[in-house]
Amino acid sequence: MDTLTHILNGFSVCLQPINLWYTFLGCFLGTIIGVLPGIGPSAGIALLIPVTYGMNPTSALIMMSGIFYGARYGGSTTAILINTPGEASSVMTTLDGYQMAKKGRAGAALAISAVASFIAGTLGVVGLTLFAVPLSSMALKFGPAEYFTLMFFAMTAVSSLAGKSPAKAMISTILGLMIATIGIDLQSGQPRYTMGVPELQDGVGFVIAVVGLFAIAEVFITMEDMTKGVRSEIIRLKGRLWFTKDEWNRSLMPMFRGGIVGFVIGVLPGAGGTIASIMSYIWEKRLSKHPEEFGKGAIEGVAGPEAANNSDNAGAMVPLLTLGIPGGGATAVMLGAFIMYGIQPGPLLFQNRPDLVWGLIDSMYIGNIMLLILNLPLIGIFVRLLYIPSGILMPLILAISTIGIYAINGNPVELYFGLIFGVIGYVFRKIDIPLAPMVLSLVLGGIMEQSFRQAMTISGGNPKIFVGSVITVTLVALSILSVLLPFLLPRLKAWRDGSRDTT
Amino acid sequence: MMTDRVIFVCTIIAAVVYLYATTLIPSLEIGDPLGPKAFPRLLGIAVLIAAGLLFLEMWKERKQRAPQGSANEADAWRHLWIIVGVTVWTGIYYVAFERLGYILATTVYLLALMAWFNRGKWVANILTAALFGVLSFVMFVKLDVNLPRGLAAFSWISDGVLVVVNAVTNVIKSIRTSF
Repeated sequence: MDTLTHILNGFSVCLQPINLWYTFLGCFLGTIIGVLPGIGPSAGIALLIPVTYGMNPTSALIMMSGIFYGARYGGSTTAILINTPGEASSVMTTLDGYQMAKKGRAGAALAISAVASFIAGTLGVVGLTLFAVPLSSMALKFGPAEYFTLMFFAMTAVSSLAGKSPAKAMISTILGLMIATIGIDLQSGQPRYTMGVPELQDGVGFVIAVVGLFAIAEVFITMEDMTKGVRSEIIRLKGRLWFTKDEWNRSLMPMFRGGIVGFVIGVLPGAGGTIASIMSYIWEKRLSKHPEEFGKGAIEGVAGPEAANNSDNAGAMVPLLTLGIPGGGATAVMLGAFIMYGIQPGPLLFQNRPDLVWGLIDSMYIGNIMLLILNLPLIGIFVRLLYIPSGILMPLILAISTIGIYAINGNPVELYFGLIFGVIGYVFRKIDIPLAPMVLSLVLGGIMEQSFRQAMTISGGNPKIFVGSVITVTLVALSILSVLLPFLLPRLKAWRDGSRDTT
Repeated sequence: MMTDRVIFVCTIIAAVVYLYATTLIPSLEIGDPLGPKAFPRLLGIAVLIAAGLLFLEMWKERKQRAPQGSANEADAWRHLWIIVGVTVWTGIYYVAFERLGYILATTVYLLALMAWFNRGKWVANILTAALFGVLSFVMFVKLDVNLPRGLAAFSWISDGVLVVVNAVTNVIKSIRTSF
């Protein structure tokens, strides 16, 4: 009963005019960030942190999560109209969305992706509302050892799922942890790896790292593509922005299936929106009576993945809010934002600040409604953004990144750090080292080391504490399993195919 | 693959440097049984294990399509010079950032980039660069983010912009109150 009052109270928080305004602003900016290729939600949220510093944390967080889920709506528009994902997870939408647009069904593709996003996004928030309380009360029993193994699991899962090569992802994760150890050690007061640079004493600011790795590096990649002369044609939006009855019937089940897949994958650490939409696409293709249409403009191939990547978003908020542990790159940036406002998400937050938690969760219901309006009748306004020449847009993003970094401390030395991270991000993209694991471990590194040392202090230096309870044993087992999975899966498949051949 | 070999070597070097730097951390191990070195030491070992895994992956892929990869890899780096150019130019921008002041430095920085990447469209480029410089400055000052105004020789630009903005807001205020 208590929870129900908190949920209803949350609505009274998020329905305050000021918070409604920030929900709108977040959704609006999120749609822009989603539509524009070259800047994603991680960089967008990181750039906003310094600007929103003095704001009331509830409003600031409502706005940031608006960007987080709003970008998923916007990303599909770019995917459908110019065959480029506006945001990483809309990559599957390009396959059939762009083909539909070529056939003159751009309006239907945009409409179905907005409606699928809305239905699945709202379903996802319902799931978040239902799962939040039981999970957070379970997490209350967590000690440092449990937290350490949980973070360990999150990192191994991200490493094994993030890219083509698990070894490279693992290198990326550990490099992030190493960068996180730079600065004064909080427990002993000793400076570590600062190389005598005073700016490094407080450690490497994660905003700087995220802006560099995501915004600046992405601009570099786009600039390089421009020099190569890679250009795709923008398909003009004409005709009615709606779908036929037949198209609706074909999309209905994919939306619900995609919504469920997306939410489950979102809750689990590691996978994230891109994998959610790929799985939904594969599933729909397998279930379809006419799989040959996929890749040539099947509306199911738009509805399913779009639903999946939106409910994934709500699912990803579950571990972030209830446990305080993000399962991927973008939620890691969200955690960084929480910490900047002096708020530690996790089970205690549900007890101490129910107004903030439920205000935030409830704002997502409203945000999804706003996004449906922004992305259906008003989508024409956002489509115009695609006509801004990249030659103007990319330099502007570099200038905005500069302001974002400078605004944190007003220290010009940090600008160079940002540029270095930009170059690192660019090189890593070129050599296929995934960046999301690095950001996750950069944000979690400090907390992870702290819980490691606390656990070891409790046990008097005995590492057995990490296999000392049912929870830790389960998490350690899951971590080992997730490390082995990429190595075992191909073998298992070969073995299964082999046995099928012999029979 | 060539790049994988480079990553492998770089990772090993990074691990060795990191582990060496770890031994330099002064530590007084009182109360804290682990001290500031233990966790970094684990990380150093972990990254060596990761490098080992990468080596295994390279070993497995060795037999698969080795010759085709190298041609693509050479192509991937062909346009590197443009990124080096932009990086150096951005570095110069950061050196000038506090000296020239935000507005002037940003406008010049943007103008050069746009002249290169959005060639020939001078009017649009100059308008966007100058308007962005001025408007973003005003917006962030209003948001209490202090952007640099530059050394005395250049600060009149920023000060002038602020005088104009304040005058305009005062006029708007007085119009509002008079109605």
